[in-house]
Amino acid sequence: MDEQVKQIIANVLNVDLNVITAELSSGDIPEWDSVGNLAIISTLEQELGIEFPLEDLFDLNSVRALIDEVNKIKND
Amino acid sequence: MIDAPHSRLLRAVIGHAQAMPGKIALVEGTRRVTYSQLISNVEKVAGYLSLLGLKPGDTILLAAQKEVEFIYLYLAAHLLGIVNVVVDSASPADRIDYIISTVGPAAKFGTILKVNRPDFTPFSEVLPDLVTPSLAMREIHSTDVADVMFTTGTTGAPKGVCLSHDNIAGSACNTNGFIGTRADDVEALALPLSHSFGLGRMRCVLMAGATLVLVGSFANLKAFFQVLEAEHVTGFGMVPAVWQYIKRISGTRISKFASQIRYIEFGSAALPVADKRLLMDIFPHTRLCMHYGLTEASRAIFSEFHACADNLETIGQPASSLVQVRILDEDGQPVEDGTDGEICVHGNMVTRTYYLPSDNQGAFFGDWFRTGDWGHRSPQGDFYLTGRKKELINVGGEKVSPAAIEQAIMALGIKDCACVPIPDPKGVLGEVPKAFLVKSDPLMTIEEVKKQLIQVLPAHEVPVEWEWVDSIPRTSSGKIQRLKLKN
Repeated sequence: MDEQVKQIIANVLNVDLNVITAELSSGDIPEWDSVGNLAIISTLEQELGIEFPLEDLFDLNSVRALIDEVNKIKND
Repeated sequence: MIDAPHSRLLRAVIGHAQAMPGKIALVEGTRRVTYSQLISNVEKVAGYLSLLGLKPGDTILLAAQKEVEFIYLYLAAHLLGIVNVVVDSASPADRIDYIISTVGPAAKFGTILKVNRPDFTPFSEVLPDLVTPSLAMREIHSTDVADVMFTTGTTGAPKGVCLSHDNIAGSACNTNGFIGTRADDVEALALPLSHSFGLGRMRCVLMAGATLVLVGSFANLKAFFQVLEAEHVTGFGMVPAVWQYIKRISGTRISKFASQIRYIEFGSAALPVADKRLLMDIFPHTRLCMHYGLTEASRAIFSEFHACADNLETIGQPASSLVQVRILDEDGQPVEDGTDGEICVHGNMVTRTYYLPSDNQGAFFGDWFRTGDWGHRSPQGDFYLTGRKKELINVGGEKVSPAAIEQAIMALGIKDCACVPIPDPKGVLGEVPKAFLVKSDPLMTIEEVKKQLIQVLPAHEVPVEWEWVDSIPRTSSGKIQRLKLKN
């Protein structure tokens, strides 16, 4: 799942997969701007068939946070 | 200390360095620069530029980045009478090359993202030297061009807007006068420095002797809110698309900062009345100021939401007594109040010319700059925006030329196409482009076109909706009838 999340983020931002490290945060690269961030959220929701709780969106500001959140939702 | 009689902005900064040398002017991460250090660094960088052989009237290209060195270079050029051409470091290569071939810069600074450009000197290699700049090689006038900003032209090629030292100082004074920015303010700048709005905020803050905190972007709101808290920020600027983003991602968390935020400046695109009301509820004591303007006539009109609570549709009134706005008909004659016409502006911040004289054609009625926007004035003197004459798509504040997207699509082998603005289906960006395509190869798919287009156009210029059509409606002279496609 971790790799799938990274791959989706890389596709949405149109950057190489190796750029998407767990430590990368929104705003760290120009491609991950506010529009890119919204696209990441909606694409992860669509492709993984999940829905992020609205109150969690604020904290989903890094690859690590997104992976953890997806795992949390999938395991619930 | 140095003097800069031609630049009111520099004179203000020099004045702050004398009156309050220890006051923090700039914050970038852990770096803090006082007004005294700012002026001293500007002087050293001016020495470096002189050493490179640059002289008054020369042009330099600056790829804007949120680094203090960018600001040193920007102000050092002004000090020496060198013209800054400020570009977005994320610009596609062909845009950068067009600008370089148009202005022929004597030097280029910064980093162009995604492409290796050895012709640019990174900011980290700009070495402030202890060299006294050889000033006064030629007298510099306040009406000389200080900056050239390239904006989206309707034909697809960007247009260079020439702004004098007087223009940029005039805009900053008008804006500070309306908003009320003062020396004890701390402003967070998350807007891009390559655009008129963000660069203008930087000048306003330095003109007022306040503190400017450079922030990467609004993408990481958690980080932005941490800056608001840690730096005791009292003001910032944002475009309406960012407000939609803040609402979506953070709900009403921003209300936590309502009591410390003295002002917010909005601009670059329309903000729905419902959002203005919501902002008034969240920020009951904040000056919520919205400008109407263009790079050519920066911050021409201002409104403050609380002050026009019963009339939130208006874009407001002229920014200061030094700005005049008129509604003119197609012959350049004033129309009566209540009648729609073209919004035309005259004032201390209005450009006198584009870089290429050919771009001036149809741009002015005498001394009045034609905005290309339609609107009217009420008998009370309030202005209202009703439409746009120029065929541009306003994607979250970024003006996009449909012609530029069409050229890029047709270069991929598409027989014919046309782009029009549609409301953003996600409700964030205001407008987004939609493309109508005529199929030339029966096997071609939209996915394929999109994939190739992403490689050549900035992300916000790539159409969000696509539709195959049999033909593009055109007038007898071959002009695309976009209205027909919009309906």
